[in-house]
Amino acid sequence: MICIQQVSKTFDQGRSFAVQEVDLEVGAGEFLVLLGESGCGKTTLLKMINRLVEPSRGRILVEERDVCRVDPVVLRRGIGYVFQGVGLFPHMTVAENVAVVPRLLNWEPSACRDRVDELLRLTGLSPRTHRDRKPHELSGGQRQRVGLARALAARPRIMLMDEPFGALDPMTRDGLQREFKRLQQTLNLTVVMVTHDMTEALLLADRIAVMKQGVLVGTGSPGQVLRNPSHPYIAALMETPRRQADQVESILRSGGEGK
Amino acid sequence: MTEAALADQLRLLPDYLGHHLTLTLVALFSGIAVCLPLAILVTRVKPLQWPVLTVASVAQTIPGLALLALMVPLLGRIGFLPAFIALLLYSMLPILRNTVTGILGVAPDILEAAEGLGMTSRQRLFRVELPLAAPVIIAGIRTATVWVVGSATLSTPVGATSLGNYIFSGLQTQNSTAVLVGCAAAAALAIVLDQLIRLGELAVAGRSRTKGWLAGAGLLFILLSTLILQIPTAKGSNVVVVGAKPFTEQYVLAEALAQRLTQAGLRAENRSSMGSMILFDALTAGHVDCYVDYSGTIWANVMKRQDLPPRADLLEQMKNWLQREHQVRVLGALGFENNYGLAVPKHKAEALELASIQDLARHAPHMTIGADFEFFVRPEWKALREAYRLDFREKRTFDPSLMYAAAREGVVDVISAYTTDGRIIEYDLAVLTDPLQALPPYDAVLVLSPAAARRAELVSALKGFDGIIDDGTMRAANKRVDVDGESPARAARFLLEAVGLSSPAKGGEGSDS
Repeated sequence: MICIQQVSKTFDQGRSFAVQEVDLEVGAGEFLVLLGESGCGKTTLLKMINRLVEPSRGRILVEERDVCRVDPVVLRRGIGYVFQGVGLFPHMTVAENVAVVPRLLNWEPSACRDRVDELLRLTGLSPRTHRDRKPHELSGGQRQRVGLARALAARPRIMLMDEPFGALDPMTRDGLQREFKRLQQTLNLTVVMVTHDMTEALLLADRIAVMKQGVLVGTGSPGQVLRNPSHPYIAALMETPRRQADQVESILRSGGEGK
Repeated sequence: MTEAALADQLRLLPDYLGHHLTLTLVALFSGIAVCLPLAILVTRVKPLQWPVLTVASVAQTIPGLALLALMVPLLGRIGFLPAFIALLLYSMLPILRNTVTGILGVAPDILEAAEGLGMTSRQRLFRVELPLAAPVIIAGIRTATVWVVGSATLSTPVGATSLGNYIFSGLQTQNSTAVLVGCAAAAALAIVLDQLIRLGELAVAGRSRTKGWLAGAGLLFILLSTLILQIPTAKGSNVVVVGAKPFTEQYVLAEALAQRLTQAGLRAENRSSMGSMILFDALTAGHVDCYVDYSGTIWANVMKRQDLPPRADLLEQMKNWLQREHQVRVLGALGFENNYGLAVPKHKAEALELASIQDLARHAPHMTIGADFEFFVRPEWKALREAYRLDFREKRTFDPSLMYAAAREGVVDVISAYTTDGRIIEYDLAVLTDPLQALPPYDAVLVLSPAAARRAELVSALKGFDGIIDDGTMRAANKRVDVDGESPARAARFLLEAVGLSSPAKGGEGSDS
């Protein structure tokens, strides 16, 4: 579905690389998480997939086509994108936000309306109460649901997500994560999601790709990266969720008294 | 008195307001049409930003009156065009700056979202950037509106009628009713336009049909009333434009000429409060058809002559010169002279035994002289100073209407008075004699533009003015305005009656344009 070949990106004429010689493939219907610390190049890599950032070297194929040889506008309309800050348009209602891409694609107004209601229901919002609200009248979780609905509006087969749940409180995040996972499976979406939250990566991903200083250090299923990390950095990263899980488990075993 | 004075002024309102509105709206709409695309270009091509905004800022720092006056020599025209261009320049900065600020102020994550969703740069502009910048852009347009409505009052001296006619002529004739009406009308217009735009903005932001209709209806009403107000003054080929310099006698004479033309069945339009040289240039260019000038002024300022032949000689030479050099026709001398003269309060003249300018020269080093804005740069002043070796302690310039009061109240010791001004008697001033004849005679002469001189009906309507107004009659008419507070139109009716030129059938109506 997505094929990243020897891709590098430099913002300073080659003195340093934000992304360096990355090879990565994402299969159809696969949920891939790009994991790494802030500044490791994961967001840059994600943005190169829909050409918000142009690769300096290498090439990226989306559905067998080189992204640098297709019209970026057409490319982006075919790929769902959920932004780090949600990025809802504050001057538009919820319905208008969701219908942005269908309108760009010149859908019939009635088709747009039906699709908006369908998506609001799909993302757990009530069309009747939320359709005509403005983004500032929504809670953080609701805004993120609208962001999801907007990304899904034109029925893309690929979704790119940049820390979509980062700004949410843990309860809301947990709920949304599970709902989205279910949605991804139902719609058979190919997802590339960027996060620095190890637990989120472990719970959502089919496969995790770990990046460090622009370099892809290894990939593997959640089970593999936890049990057989292919690189010391991955092992170190996984130390935190592992320790937290152990602590939670010991609390559970000791009947809630342990520390 | 006050009610009649107010009624007098309000009758002028439709004409002034119509011109003012046309000027304001055309300048504003053009300003928006030029600035929005320019601002958008500037946000796309960053290197242009600094030069464009700087040029707009510089235009803004030029005082409004100076900017308007600059346009006259630059464009070589008077009237609507220079006023329009100056106001357009004036409207640019707030619209430009706010549009640029508004567009650049759109949060980067929202722009990235627009790009990431697959909007083209054009779609991003129209669907995201402009709607989000709209409140800031509209705030800029509102600022520009208030500025332009206010600055448009300054277009009177460059020959464009506006609400400023009230203010300029009101200040010159010390008619506070006129000044007040002018200011109130301009302020009201600014508020109404500003609130209409606000209403429009609220309608769009809140998607309110009612507010939208209201704003639309208000704007439509203003546009329609502008059109209707303009119809009676719409330029016909036979409209006669009568000019006037910015002082009382000129207003009265221009009104008298206009009334006389109206009686003869011609349509007359007044361009009041124009600068001396602007007016002469406008006459030679045919933008003004007729006005009253003074022989000495033309002799010294236009012909640049320094010699002083006897009065009749000077008049004859001037007539021939104007005809030869500019095809300007002198229809006749009205009969009175309005000389420049140095005047002092009578009690001071007696105490210091001042009768002539020669007597004054001895005391000049301890004295302050007050004059109108032009006097100290006119050749007459140079001639006077050289002839009598005048050397005053201080020179001050005043609005002509305030000069006389300054002399009476002792703010200055001497003033450059106009000898037909009613306030010389009223304020007990004495005009000093000019034994060395440094100052030329200032016979009032009626001058016609080349085109006007060819119109037989115009010439015959104005011919009657030849030699019929004496000094006393003119001074009496001026006094009615300056001292008694009458409108120039009323004083003009008095003048026409006094010299037997008013026709009983139409004498009462006069001309109010």
